[in-house]
Amino acid sequence: MSEGASGAMNVQVGDEIPPWEMPFVDPARMRTMAAILRDPYPVHWDRTSNERLGMGGRVINQGPLNLSYLVNMLHAWAGPTCVRRLTVSFGRPVLDEDSVTARGRVLSVDEVDGERRATCELRLMRGDEVVVSGTAVVAVGVTSDVTID
Amino acid sequence: MVTEDEMLALIGYRFPGGAYRIEHWESWLLNNCTGAEPRSDGLVHPIALFHVPILGSGITITKLFELGGATGAGSVGLESYDWEYFSPLREDVEYRIDGGITEVERRVADTGQVYDAVAFSIELFDGDALVARVTNRWRFRRTA
Repeated sequence: MSEGASGAMNVQVGDEIPPWEMPFVDPARMRTMAAILRDPYPVHWDRTSNERLGMGGRVINQGPLNLSYLVNMLHAWAGPTCVRRLTVSFGRPVLDEDSVTARGRVLSVDEVDGERRATCELRLMRGDEVVVSGTAVVAVGVTSDVTID
Repeated sequence: MVTEDEMLALIGYRFPGGAYRIEHWESWLLNNCTGAEPRSDGLVHPIALFHVPILGSGITITKLFELGGATGAGSVGLESYDWEYFSPLREDVEYRIDGGITEVERRVADTGQVYDAVAFSIELFDGDALVARVTNRWRFRRTA
């Protein structure tokens, strides 16, 4: 991906999106998130409950937070209003103190409703392990044939 | 164990419906939880599409757990999200929200674990304009 003289993104199929890192999944943030979500599920804040699940007394990050790291990557790449669609599947749980990296790659670029939109493969990685995967449709500029009177 | 017929009867269940306004303090905390930089432009982080549709449609995560027959820690898991944004989410906008349960399917995992995949779909409106649509699939794991 490069930026043209007009500031428009020049996005090509196969482009890698610059990764976004969450170096330390913080259990304090999970507790705040549980309160915002009104989520009573103790796996996000009660280590005792997770010992029974074989999680070694660690707590499980909320799915929306895992997804947020992928969104933060997209925002850093294409701006804060770029996301048009997110379709993701959750594979493995992310635990407190994990380090994860959001990665993505452009699969296609299309023109829809006067916008250039990139469909991107998404992966949230813990080391070599994919913990969340999916696709995003991201606005990457207006189409060149759009005129404004 | 909750029977398959009991679960299938949930298809078509409509949430009460309602509205939700995302205030700046909530938006700030949500953004902070994600590790993103603070915002002052009134935009809300897109992951608000998890809790805003649920709470705004007049239901709660607790009630969804009850409907799905959750039985405690480890009995509920996320399967997938499909979230569509037709315009950005903003602070201090009162979104009208409606939705319900759209699909239920009993499945057996490769491990032999029986679970019910439950999908619910919810839409957010600003006036008559559709702002966003979510379809979430959760797994309710069953024990004999």
